[in-house]
Amino acid sequence: MKRTNYLKGLRVLLAILFFVPILLFFVDFAGALPSGIHKLLHAQLMPAILGGMVGIIVFQFLLALLFGRIYCSVICSAGVLQDIINRIFCIGKKKKKGVRRFKYHKPANWVRYSILALTVILAVLGFSELCLLLDPYSNFGRIATNLFRPVVMWSNNILADLLMKVDNYSLYHVTISTVSTAGLIAAIIALVLFIVLVIFRGRLFCNTLCPVGALLSLISRYSFFRISFDKEACTHCGNCEHTCKAEAIDSKNLTIDTSRCVDCFNCVSSCAKGGLQYRYQPVALKKEKAQPAVNATDTMSIGQTGANSRRSFLATGVTVAASLPVISAIADEVETCKGDGSCGNHKGKGKGHGQKKWPPLTPPGSISLERFKDKCTGCHLCVVRCPSQVLRPTGLEYGFDYMLKPRLAYISSYCNYECTVCADVCPTGAIKPLTKEEKMTTQVGIATFFINRCIVKTEGNDCGACSEHCPTQAVHMVPYEGTLTIPHVDPDLCIGCGGCESICPVRPMRAIIVKSNEVHKFVEKPKEEEVKEVEVDDFGF
Amino acid sequence: MKRRDFLKTSVVAGAALSLNFDGLQAALKSNTVTVEQVPDMVAVMGGEPEVMLDKALEALGGIGKYIKKGQKVVIKPNIGWDRTPELAGNTNPELIKALVKRCLAAGAEKVTVFDHTCDNWQKCYETSGIAAAVKEAGGIIMPGNDEKYYKEVSIPGGVTLKDAKIHEALVEADAWINVPILKNHGGAKLSCAMKNLMGIVWDRRFFHQNDLQQCIADICAWQKKPVLNIVDAYRMMHQNGPQGKSAADVAMLKSMIVSPDIIAIDTAALKLFNQVKELDMEAVGHIGKGEALKLGTTNLDKIKIKRIKI
Repeated sequence: MKRTNYLKGLRVLLAILFFVPILLFFVDFAGALPSGIHKLLHAQLMPAILGGMVGIIVFQFLLALLFGRIYCSVICSAGVLQDIINRIFCIGKKKKKGVRRFKYHKPANWVRYSILALTVILAVLGFSELCLLLDPYSNFGRIATNLFRPVVMWSNNILADLLMKVDNYSLYHVTISTVSTAGLIAAIIALVLFIVLVIFRGRLFCNTLCPVGALLSLISRYSFFRISFDKEACTHCGNCEHTCKAEAIDSKNLTIDTSRCVDCFNCVSSCAKGGLQYRYQPVALKKEKAQPAVNATDTMSIGQTGANSRRSFLATGVTVAASLPVISAIADEVETCKGDGSCGNHKGKGKGHGQKKWPPLTPPGSISLERFKDKCTGCHLCVVRCPSQVLRPTGLEYGFDYMLKPRLAYISSYCNYECTVCADVCPTGAIKPLTKEEKMTTQVGIATFFINRCIVKTEGNDCGACSEHCPTQAVHMVPYEGTLTIPHVDPDLCIGCGGCESICPVRPMRAIIVKSNEVHKFVEKPKEEEVKEVEVDDFGF
Repeated sequence: MKRRDFLKTSVVAGAALSLNFDGLQAALKSNTVTVEQVPDMVAVMGGEPEVMLDKALEALGGIGKYIKKGQKVVIKPNIGWDRTPELAGNTNPELIKALVKRCLAAGAEKVTVFDHTCDNWQKCYETSGIAAAVKEAGGIIMPGNDEKYYKEVSIPGGVTLKDAKIHEALVEADAWINVPILKNHGGAKLSCAMKNLMGIVWDRRFFHQNDLQQCIADICAWQKKPVLNIVDAYRMMHQNGPQGKSAADVAMLKSMIVSPDIIAIDTAALKLFNQVKELDMEAVGHIGKGEALKLGTTNLDKIKIKRIKI
């Protein structure tokens, strides 16, 4: 008797509702989608934890306690991406080599809880780079930004060129400028890792490397609703075990490791006999019920796995705690080597030889460099949404703890005076929302003028490109020799938007460069001058 | 057979109906014009942009003198900044709307409008009101944000700038009209007709690196010259240019200057600018350098100017 199973259908539907808008939001290079879509991203757990959004965290924990790790199959973009990879892999394959290629494995509890503990401890110590590297959402973001988006942009360009021939400019040519080497490498590694793991071991990433998965597994093992065997209906055919992406079903012993189950409900669908059911079955209840059962194997084994993983979690915690001094020593090392500038490459903007490298410019709303480092998970959403394409992911040039985080790079564009898009969309609050007024007065850095490099001085020619682009006229032209004028910076008006630096024609080192404020400051708004009525009634010629 | 006849007749009749006597009228008009002589420059003051445009074009012998039937026409305004029309950072959208209409009425096959903007191009096109104005008038607003849209041309007459990548709409155009707004400019000192040509090239950094004033003059030496320059001085930014900070930078002049001579028009525009703010001709180096390239004259006494006050 096959029962209709709407659970899998519902899971797929919900996953699509979450995944598709998020994916489109990342690849939408034209800014065509409403920015409200970013609200979907607030359901992502790692950003919520780093951003200290208690409500969301509690909600997710309750969800896991009630229904298990639905998060991993519906909300988590990387989880859904893995399911899509799996789906694509199964196309045209027989069931045995495709959907039913998995088999039960023991949980790698040591690995997953060590990683979780290490991630947590390092984050508490103020080194959030492991969160950035392992967070599934941020990995998805980097894949979408650096791999999917360029493909969409290339396709757009091909179409735009065709339309251009018939004078249709509804599509326009775009240049891919926000993909950095580091971002690309990170994205490729993540995508290849996902593909390989999915093909050979299903959701192994989620059950070993992923700190979010590990965290939720601690809760989901006690979830009220769970999938369990109906021993009377089960024919021991093993289909469910072979369909389980999480490799959590042991069909010989009729056990299901709920800590690894991601609630995809594929097993429920695979069973023609209704031998697996998703039902209300809290741990306590189950034990009571199981007591009189003749065959107590499943209770036993569940009890054992439960105890085992709890034990291993505790053991891991202790070990990791013991290794803390080593970690802080490493962290110190990173710190020092960043200080003297001997680590990382010097490809950034020229700062003069022997001069201490200026720290990166963090986006307006990030408040300070330290705060930004702690909270940013490097998902690159701000990078893709920035209309000026001024935010660029870094590599190692600002040290390991700034890796893959965005900085304001005034290479060929600058931070638009009234724009607050990055702050509006940031899911972690690493870039805090700003009003237009606040944005226009937030000083992320100060333009520094190097007169000896300026064309007006070196060539004796007019230029003024910097002043031309300055929205506050903090950079203004003052009389120089003859009819020439030369730039002058008023630090009290400068907000560090980079208009000047981005346009300065001097190479290799520009004559005006924005030096970052490690803690952002606020400046006065430029004073509004009085509007004077001018009466002109003659042409003058 | 009868149906065919009927169709034939109706086609002929239709053609006859749609016939107009533009040619004849123009001939009659030009008869009178020869008596009056067409001016080299027209300056108008005191009206709305569209009204001033029509007065100026009328004085110059009508748009048909410059734009012919079936031509691909480009109008190049200044859309450099994410600024509303009131702040006078960009050419007046009303003027552009009227001009696109006049060109289409003169029989232009298509009228394309673009600028290589400084701020984000979509914001500039939108905030300036020009994209909407062009679409309303039936023209095409084309992006200029990517190197892809620019084609290499040589400028044999240039001193420093010998070649440049110029927007393909212009490279392929049969005729184009240069429609700058008159502004103060931090670097070039004055931004008007000549300076507006910086927006037709891709690589502006070269200009700043290699004597800005000379390069501005050089780009004006490109062989495909605008058939007309129309200086929008309805509102004029007299300080903090070219971007401007506030309405305090703007003076209401309600003026317009039209001429095919790009040097003469910038000379005249500077004099108009001087009515509000002092600025030496010598400081605006590109005008003199343009004259040296024989692109026009700075001597306004030598040319015939018609001044119209409304």
